Amino acid sequence: MRSLFHILKAVSRFHDYGPQPVTFSRTIRWIKQFQKQDRKIAGHLLDKIIYLSEKDTRKILLHQNKVLMENLAKEGLPAKKLVYLQTDEAGSSSPVMLSMIRNEAGLQQRGCKLLDSRDALSINKITNKLEEGALIYIDDFVGSGDQFCSAREAVQKSVVGTFSEFLLVPSICEEGYQRLIDLGIAVYAGHIHSRAERPLHANSHLMQAADRIRLVEMCKQIRPKTSLGYNDLATMVVLYRNAPNSIPAVLRGSDKQTPFYGIFPRYKDLPINRG
Amino acid sequence: MRGLKPTQPEIPQIIPAGTLRHLSPDEIKPSTNNPRMLFDPDQLDELKKNIGEHGVLVPITVYQPKGQVKFSILDGERRYRCVVDLTKEGHYGKDHKPLKLPANVVEPPSKIAGLLYMFSIHNFREGWELMPTALSLRIVMEDLGEQDNKALTKLTGLSEPQIERCKKLLTFPERFQEMSLDPNPATRIPSNFWIEASPVLDLAITHVPTINKLGRDRATDKLVEKYRARKIKSVIHFRRIMESYELNEDQPNTRASVLRRVEEFFLKPTLETRQAFDEFVIEKKRVQSALNVCEDFLKELGKLKLTYTADDDERRYLREALHRVHEYCKSLEQALRGSDDPEVPHD
Repeated sequence: MRSLFHILKAVSRFHDYGPQPVTFSRTIRWIKQFQKQDRKIAGHLLDKIIYLSEKDTRKILLHQNKVLMENLAKEGLPAKKLVYLQTDEAGSSSPVMLSMIRNEAGLQQRGCKLLDSRDALSINKITNKLEEGALIYIDDFVGSGDQFCSAREAVQKSVVGTFSEFLLVPSICEEGYQRLIDLGIAVYAGHIHSRAERPLHANSHLMQAADRIRLVEMCKQIRPKTSLGYNDLATMVVLYRNAPNSIPAVLRGSDKQTPFYGIFPRYKDLPINRG
Repeated sequence: MRGLKPTQPEIPQIIPAGTLRHLSPDEIKPSTNNPRMLFDPDQLDELKKNIGEHGVLVPITVYQPKGQVKFSILDGERRYRCVVDLTKEGHYGKDHKPLKLPANVVEPPSKIAGLLYMFSIHNFREGWELMPTALSLRIVMEDLGEQDNKALTKLTGLSEPQIERCKKLLTFPERFQEMSLDPNPATRIPSNFWIEASPVLDLAITHVPTINKLGRDRATDKLVEKYRARKIKSVIHFRRIMESYELNEDQPNTRASVLRRVEEFFLKPTLETRQAFDEFVIEKKRVQSALNVCEDFLKELGKLKLTYTADDDERRYLREALHRVHEYCKSLEQALRGSDDPEVPHD
């Protein structure tokens, strides 16, 4: 009965998950992979998912961007001095986030520059022309910050002039947040994902130790190398268009979803002929 | 202005804002340069030890970009990093309070002042890709209206050959420059590719009518295509093509064959550089001859046991001759190091 409650709740919350919408039958299929005594824990794990729907994501980004633009204007940096940078290739999350706010916030009409972080020549030309301003990186989620820092390092080689740096992101892990603050990058985020919010993280007390150990063991069997996700972050944030690679394997499932069927597979985890 | 031509534009200076502050490390934004790559680790450890004992005595120079809470460092990255390390290790100041750095707060530097500072930092840095440096150099040349290599050397600290190499890179169209700015090292075309390919392109455009008809950009595309297909296994192999042409200066028939092979090399994607040109460069024999010449030279000169001559003119002539030998040997030795040599730091 309790499991049914979790299933219905999951379907209602995660129905628009992009790679594979969460339906009643899929949730049952997922939960049935657990032993009977563990199904309640699996349901409990689902309850702890921090899900950002398209609406939530848009709302957070637009709000944070508005606050950031207002703050920068007060500091003497009008819209035409702002350079928005997508940190990943077209089709991935960062450009999608940028295009999400581009129209609604009227970035181009206001004179902001929108660039790809890999387009070194354009970054060089635009920053040379502006001489001062703000670089605003945009992404949907930051975990450890490794990927972001690598993109940012490449950008910095081409920047000319004096530019302050910002990250606009719906959600960021506390590990990545601290790293970026140390680097002097101001983070405008809707949610800072603490370790305490992650039931399978060693620092969390959201789950009984014995239950956590059993689920962690399952994760190891599903994905031996990345059982708790990238850098063992064990994050619980799932975005409508994809789950980060830092979620536990028990949520993500096996590669090609065999033998373990995930509730939040990433696009690349799905079998090609999924129909 | 020191030592520069009278026509040299004024170099923008840092304008002090006149405030001295004491900043904690977390009020400062680290630069993107890794000081372990920039500075001698032993010297850095020595500085850290000194700061641990006496604190930071000379103020660092910082500025605050608009919109940024933290201060950016203009001068004093090493002192800052030492204080960060010491703080992490649990050191406190003499007053038993957390370590702070005295800092002169200045106005943000102008674009050119910032660029020149960047040059002064990156001159220490090994493994810095040449293309970003070339782009920065272009801005310096455009904004200051300076093209002279000697003046640019004084401004940027780059050597004249480095400036020449940067200028050569800037002659290539932007779409080729972009290939050397690719963040992915696996797909990036190394800056040296353009520098080494340049004389080969000149040769082909000038002497091979079909390549001339193709145009420089399309000819360059052909070379890029070959490089990506690993048919140019090392950019240094371009020199083999030039050698093939230059070594056969007195043999018109062989030169004509070299030019036909150059045409084939450009137009046939599968033809590899050494496979195409080795036959024109009988390298082993040349190297052995050069080695023999070196041995003979030293032996013959040694035999003369010449350490002194009373005649001033003779002494001058001999010194000039030795200087020419010295310069030639030095340039030859440098050329033989090759651009792919990992010991060469500038690329």
